[in-house]
This record gives sequence, C-alpha cells and structure tokens, in this order.
Amino acid sequence: MFTYNLRLALLSMKRNPILTALMVSAIAIGIGMATTTLAIYHVMSGNPIPQKSDQLYAVQLDSWGGNSPFKEPDEPPTQVTYRDAVALMQADKAQYQNASFQSALTVQSDNPSIKPFMVIARVTYNDFFPMFDVPFEYGGPWSKNADQDAEQVVVLSQETNEKLFGGANSVGKEISLENHRFRVVGVLKRWNPVPKFYDLENSQFGDTEDLYIPFSLTAPMQLQNNGNTSCWKDTGDHTFQGFLNSECVWIQFWAQLPTAADRDAYHDFLNAYADEQKKLGRFPRPLNNHLRNVTQWLAYRKVVPVEVRALVGLSFMFLMVCMLNAVGLILAKFLRRSGEIGLRRAVGASRMTLFRQYVVETAVIGLAGGALGLGLSWFGLLGLRHLLTSTTRVTHLDWTMVGTSLLLAIIASVIAGLYPAWRMVRIPPAMYLKLQ
Amino acid sequence: MLSMQNISKIYRTDVVQTHALRDFSLEVKKGEFVAVMGPSGSGKTTFLNIAGLLESFDTGSYILDGEDVSHLNDDQRSRIRNERIGFIFQSFNLIPDLNVFDNVDVPLRYRGFKAAARAQRIREALEVVGLASRMKHLPSQLSGGQQQRVAIARALAGDPRILLADEPTGNLDSLMARQVLDLLEGINESGTTIVMVTHDPELARRAHRSVHVLDGQVMDLNAQVAEPQTHETSAHA
Amino acid sequence: MEIRPILSAMLRNKTGAILIALQIALTLAIVCNAVFIIHGRLVMMNRPTGIDTHNIFVVSMTAYRPDYNAANMIRTDLDVLRRIPGVVDAAYTGSVPLSGSGSTDGISTKSDPKAPTVDEGEYYMDDHALKTLGVRLAEGRDFTHEEVVHTGWHEYTPPPVAIISRALATKLFPGQDALGKIFYEAGGRYPVTVIGVVDTLTNSYPSWHNYALTAIFPAALENKFSDFMVRTLPGQRDEVMKEVDGQLAKTHTGAYVRHLRTLDWYEANTFQADHALTVLLTVMICLILAITALGIVGLASFSVSQRTRQIGTRRALGARKTDIVRYFMMENWLITSIGVALGSIFAVALNFWLVNLFDVAPISWYYIPVGIVCLWMLGLLAVLSPALRAAAIPPAIATRNV
Repeated sequence: MFTYNLRLALLSMKRNPILTALMVSAIAIGIGMATTTLAIYHVMSGNPIPQKSDQLYAVQLDSWGGNSPFKEPDEPPTQVTYRDAVALMQADKAQYQNASFQSALTVQSDNPSIKPFMVIARVTYNDFFPMFDVPFEYGGPWSKNADQDAEQVVVLSQETNEKLFGGANSVGKEISLENHRFRVVGVLKRWNPVPKFYDLENSQFGDTEDLYIPFSLTAPMQLQNNGNTSCWKDTGDHTFQGFLNSECVWIQFWAQLPTAADRDAYHDFLNAYADEQKKLGRFPRPLNNHLRNVTQWLAYRKVVPVEVRALVGLSFMFLMVCMLNAVGLILAKFLRRSGEIGLRRAVGASRMTLFRQYVVETAVIGLAGGALGLGLSWFGLLGLRHLLTSTTRVTHLDWTMVGTSLLLAIIASVIAGLYPAWRMVRIPPAMYLKLQ
Repeated sequence: MLSMQNISKIYRTDVVQTHALRDFSLEVKKGEFVAVMGPSGSGKTTFLNIAGLLESFDTGSYILDGEDVSHLNDDQRSRIRNERIGFIFQSFNLIPDLNVFDNVDVPLRYRGFKAAARAQRIREALEVVGLASRMKHLPSQLSGGQQQRVAIARALAGDPRILLADEPTGNLDSLMARQVLDLLEGINESGTTIVMVTHDPELARRAHRSVHVLDGQVMDLNAQVAEPQTHETSAHA
Repeated sequence: MEIRPILSAMLRNKTGAILIALQIALTLAIVCNAVFIIHGRLVMMNRPTGIDTHNIFVVSMTAYRPDYNAANMIRTDLDVLRRIPGVVDAAYTGSVPLSGSGSTDGISTKSDPKAPTVDEGEYYMDDHALKTLGVRLAEGRDFTHEEVVHTGWHEYTPPPVAIISRALATKLFPGQDALGKIFYEAGGRYPVTVIGVVDTLTNSYPSWHNYALTAIFPAALENKFSDFMVRTLPGQRDEVMKEVDGQLAKTHTGAYVRHLRTLDWYEANTFQADHALTVLLTVMICLILAITALGIVGLASFSVSQRTRQIGTRRALGARKTDIVRYFMMENWLITSIGVALGSIFAVALNFWLVNLFDVAPISWYYIPVGIVCLWMLGLLAVLSPALRAAAIPPAIATRNV
C-alpha cells in the first residue's frame, strides 16, 4: 500500500508541476533559512567538551576594587590577577587546576628557508593538557619540574609542526622563540574546541593557539598578554614586575572538580583565600567568588550573541510563513482533485486509506523540500562564510544539523499536509461528485 | 426588438474552422415569446451568446432595442447586458457563496442603483417569483425549481427589455419545469420580450412561435413573421 | 463596489483567506522588525568617524632580535614611511583606529577616585597624529614634537596633555569651553590638560555606544610590536602599500612587517558580524515578500479557477472587466487588511522580545504604517495577474453546460 501511495504521490506531483514546484520551494526556502540560522546557533551553543563539561569550573575571584563592581550588577571579574593565579596553583587544592593566558611571540626556525613569523602562544601549566583532554600526536605535556624550573620547552599544534617540521615527529628538536631556545616535547593532534571555552577573552570562535609554553616563563621572558587586561588600580612602579604584582586581571583560571563535594570544598577554599587576602588589605569588595562549569560559563558569558538568537527566532517565524503558504497550496491542489477523490471513495476507499494517501503525498513534498532546503542552507552558510571570514568555524553544517533539518522538513510538511488531508476526507463522498 | 441580419460566426482553432452560424437572420418583435430550437451543435447556443452580447460575431448586423450593437466595445456591451437583457441559464448560475437577496442584487450593483432602490427592486422581483420569504437562504438550501426562480428574479430585477433563457427547465423535473414556464408566460404577458433556446418541443409549444436552427442557419423562413399574443405555433417536425 | 457581499462570500471560504491573512501578519511582523534591526546596524556602520579612512593603511611591525631598539625602530621606520612618494604623513599609534581593539579608561573632572567617571577610548599617538588621521583641529593647538612621551609598555603613565573629541569635551564640561580644562586619568591620579578639540573622531571601538568619546595622548609605547598609520594622497594608497615592505627591509634586520592592512579592512572586520546580519536579514525580507506574494498569486489563481463560472455569470449580468478586477482587488485588500491588523500586534510583540534581547530602543511607530502600506501594495500587485486573468474569462462561459 505504501508503494502504491508513493506512486500516486509522484504521479500527482507530476500532473501539477508548477504547483508542486511552488510547494517544494516554499518548504525548501523555509527549511533553508531555519537550518542556516540553526546551524550557526547549534555550533555556537555547542558543548566543546561534553565528556567533562560538568567537572571543569571557571574560577572567579572578586579581587576588584574601586567604587563600582567589575560589571554591574555586582559581578566579579572574569579573569584573575597574576599573583592570585600563582597562589591558587601553589595551593593545589583541585584535582587539576590551570592558569593560562595568550601571548604573541616570534618563532625562528633553524631552517633558514623559513622566515621568522609570529605565533599565538598559550602560556600555561602542564595540567592544561590532561585537564582539557588535549590529544597528542607525538610526545606529551612537559613535566611538573619544567613548570617549576621555567624550562624552555614547547608543545606545538599540529598546524605549527606542519609549518616548521613538515609534519614530522619533532619531539627533541629545537626552535627559537623570542631568541630563546626551546625544546619540542610534544606535538598535538588537530584540536579545536568550539566555542574556545577555556579562553573567552580572545575570539570565542577562533582557532586554538599555535604553541604552548610553561607559565613560569612569564616573568623571565616578560611575556605580554594578548587578550583583555583590566585594572582598577594603577600598576604601581611601572615595571613588568610591578605589573605582575598589580591588581590587574588578565589570566584565565580553571579547576577540575569531579564531584559536588569537591566543588563545595573548593568554593570554601576560595572564600578562605579571599578572607586571607582581605587581611593583607586586598579584595576590598564583599566576598563574591564563583565557580561555574563549562555550560554555565558559556551561558554566563553570553557566548551565543543575541543577534543569533534573534535570527533563529525570526527564521522560525519565516518557516511558519512558508508552511502556511504550503498549506494553502496543498489545500488548493487537493480541492482541485475532488473528483478523483469522490471516485476513490465511491469505489470503496476508506477515509483512513485516503488520509494515508494524502499524508504520504505531503511527506514526499516535505522530503523534497527538506533536501532542497538543506542544499539552500549549504549555500547560505557558504555565503555567510564569505561574510564572516574571522569566524568561519561557526558556518558549518554537521550531521546532527543535516538530520535535524530533514526531520524538521518532514514534520513541518506533514503537519502542513495533515490539515488539508483532514479537510478532504471530511467532505462526504456525494459532495465530490456533486462538485462537478 | 431584436433584429439579426446575415450574421455569421466562425470558430477558429489551429487546424479547423467551424461555421457556428452562417447567414443567420432573425427578427423578434417587442412582446414576442420566441423559442429557438435545434439539436445540440446546431448553433443555437452561439445564437444565444450573440443575441445576449456574450460573444461577438464576424459579419452581419445586429440591432437590439433600436440600437445597432454590432460594433460596441466590451464595456458598452456589458452595459447593454446589464440594462436591457435578462439572462436565465440552464444551470441557474447562482453564486453559491451569496444568499438569495445578494444573488438578485448582483446585476443591480453593476447598474449603480442606490441601496434603497436596489432593496425595493429585489423585494419586488422576489415577490413575483414567490420567494420573498427566502431572502436570507443560500442557494444550496433551495430546491432546483426555487433556484431557477431566484435566477428569474435576478433577471427581472433590472427591468430588462428582453429576457434570454437558455434551456431554463433543462435541469428541473417536470413539476418544477411547469412552474418555471408558468412564471415565464406571466412575465411575457406583462410585456417583456422572451427568447428561449431549447431542444424540447414540449417547451417550445408554450412560445408564440418557434425557430429552427440547423447547421448554423434558420430553417423555417416562412415562420419568421408572426403576430404577437396569438399563441400560434409554427409547424415543426 | 461594496464590501459586504465580498466579505460574506469570503467568510464562506474562510480557510484560504485565513491562511493568507496569517502569512501577511507574520510577514509584517518579520519585515518591520528586520528593517528595524538593519536600520540600527546601518546607522552604526555609517557613523561619521572623522578619519580619512579610505586613504589610510596600517603597518604592523614585530621586532624579534634581542638587540632591537624600539625607540630607534619607531623613529627610523616612520622616517622611511614618510619619505615614500604619495605619502601625506605617517604616525605612530598604540592601537589601530576602528579596529575594535585598543584602550579605554574611566576619566573624571575631579581628582577624587570616588567621583563619577566617563568611559572613553584612548589613542596613544605621536605629533603627526592629526595630519595622518586627516582630522582638523577645531580649537586649541596640536602636540609639539617634545610633548611626545616615549615609554615602555608597562612604564606608561598618562602624559599631562591631550586632544579630545568634541563629544568628550561636551560630556566632561557641558556648556563650557573645554580648552585648558583639566581631567583626571586612572582613578583621579593623573591630571591631564585639554590642549585641543577636534570635531569628530571615533575611537578604536566604533560599535561601542561611547564610540565618539575619544582622547588622544602624545605617547609612543616602545614595544616589540609597533603599529604605524600611513595616510596617502587620494587614490594612491594601494600603490604606496606595495612599496612599504621593500623600503622598510632596507633599514631593518631585526623586525618584520607582521601585517599590512588598510584601515578599510579593519573597519570592515570590526563590522563583519553586523554586515553579515544585515545581509542575512535583507535576504530574509526579500524571500518572505516573494513567498507571501507567490502565496497570494497561488491562492488567488486557485480561487479564480474555482469561480470561473461565477465570474462568467457576473460578466453576463453586466459586470465590466474592471468590475471583475476590482472585485478581486477588493477581496485581496480585505484579506491583507485583516492580516496587517493582526500583524501590527505581532510586530509589536516581536519587537518587545527583540528590545529585551538587544537592550535597544523600541521600534519607531512609523515602521508599522509604512509596512502596512507596503504589504497592501504587495498584495494588490500580486493579485493583479490572477485578477486580470479573471477579467479575461469570457461571459459566454455562463451558457456553457458541463
């Protein structure tokens, strides 16, 4: 019966090619628009590290001062000071903890054919790699000793290793960073969490860093922060060391806390630390420390721009218009076929049989519209990629989205077809024959 | 009232030309009740269309109510249809979405009468056909005979000079048909010229005279002149 | 042509009319609000910056040798750039104008750190700044060569003088002449005297609501990264840019040109998302209008074909072609009117949501009447072709018996 219905559907579509084309394109355009915006929303609101997003916590310490909070209403800074970062690392109260920031450095290869070029480095502790499940191609993270002794070791991204060593295993090889010799200890596999949750200060949908070096090199190499530095107080003696000791916040701090108990304990520890600092005359504002896991952090930092939410809303209204359009056209098409329906009813087709026939027909239209809509959204995203050259990672269609949009198309068009089908089978058979 | 001289009408398609009417001539006097008869395909519907200014013709002349209507434009023809001709169709052609009152109102709207004048005429016309009590009914709520009577009221409401009826009882059973015919006779007696197209000899017998059309031509030339109000019928096969 | 019989005929075939009216309602809501968003973005993107944007490019240098001397680098590089034919002037800048990245501070007219502050964007530039930006001094004087403070990044303290934008002057000193007045930087610690005022100058953050509040400080921050702005004669920018690499290479071995980008590029990059939004919304508006119009065409065509006999009858009963066209126009106008009435409510509701989301002023009232008129016209245009087809139905249809 299904194949019979399918054949009837195709026959009917062929009989009214213009009407069919109109219906299919109305659904396709609606689905195309909805899928395009939904795909962007899907990427932007994605969970970059689903396996442990509920164990990783962004640490917020309210070290802010002055006469207003870091952000109204009474929000603590989103980053920590250098001295607090170092103190929290030394306290070592979490399973893993990590302080890091971004810095721009010049790389010189020993290969004279490669000109010096600038890279973006993440200056961090070795905990970074196991904590964020960073995959290695060759070698591994540097040791704890390397962190303590400020050893000049480096982990390269896959892309940087490609550029400097043609993709070969470069562990043990040396490069020059800002005229300091660094030994390669590890090379990563391709790794690009979207959004780049661990550092939302720089481009949130941008690439991961080109290479990674120990945090303890910050002072000796006078590494400058590449992201936002916010200060509520003058930096004091206007030297690099003065800056490191200042109340400026510029470092991202994360802790891995597997259980709720761990989290509560760490929160208590943060409050105790803040109280201690208050005794030293720091932290002038009331206690206001926060731990937010990855999903909470992304929501708190409003990673999905309001524009994208507005677009998703608008494009679903748009889809509704397309669906109303399709309902009207389908109804017109069905009503035009009243005679045939009367005949089928007269020769004994039951209401349910006819109903199924209509639903199959609209589902076929929906599927065609959905497939075409998917193609349209692919073009839409391609177009947006040209407009959004700095965040091409968000204009991306994955299998989840392909499935979602096809499902959306079928559901939408079956709903659009249900009403006309119901309308048709409700007309008594005698009426059909009377109509003409 | 109606004078057609040597009218011919040719339908052209890409491959064939069909002479629907050739050298067709007919006189109808004021107050006459004429039946135009012929088998299907004889051209009687074409005659009706041309007589009712629903279609144009190729050659010949046509004078209706003292006015040469051979070369009028579309709007002028609409105006004549509206003001001087009343139509009664085989399938009634009531507008299903409008009630009886609004159906009768349709030609009056195009006439541009004021609302009060229209209401007056509609009521009078419906009283003539005996349906004044059904003004708010929809056509689907009426029997076939009632529907045709509404259509007659619609044709009468504009006070036409001539009534053109196309198989007015073709879709009705005999009882209803008789009612409709009685109505038409009454209308004719009060002075309205009626031309009725039919293939039913029974029906044609009720007219003052009959005209036979075959292959687009009037067959019975000797029956062309007849006195009105005499109820004589012409000979037919 | 009276409305009542059209309305009663319409009410007996509600579904089609309701579908179209709902489409029109949603279309009005979407179009009004999309135009509202687009308008806001276009206004923001086209605000006057005061800068000769099209004739400026930026050279970003990175030094990597241990022996580099930032002070020398700045001096010699700028000398080289200024000597390139076609260059009007070149200046050091601590942050690229309009780039979305730079420095801000909360400044006050009082030295009290608890005093209310005004958030403004700051440029650190040398004494060639105004000429290179193409900004004319409205009041006061330009920086002298000696006033430019050369300092390391972390050693920087605000210089004692500044040139500010008119908007900032008005905000700090409302109703007064700002020239010679003092404001305080960094929590009231550093007094700064206003020595000049420029009429219009956008800071590094053109999409910020305080985009026009700008102060220029005479400072060159000596760093391994340096940005130089170069302004060329009109139309010569691209030619001059080709020269830069070669000319700078002659003087340097310890630094390289990291980026060579036009100011247009930076501006476009800053507004990229806004631009994409306007494009996407424009496409959405065009498509929805087309779809709604096609919907009207489709349903009107269907209704014409359903009513062929009725139309023929009307013609036979004396309706002129124009009467038939007018009938369909009127019917469509009625449906559209119901749609836009409902749509006005939708539009306001949708705007309420968007205003909450974006934290912007609500839609101006006139968007809705303008939208209504546009949809009326769209509806009439869409129905024109089916209506003309209806008018072409011959009256002889009435005598045809199927």
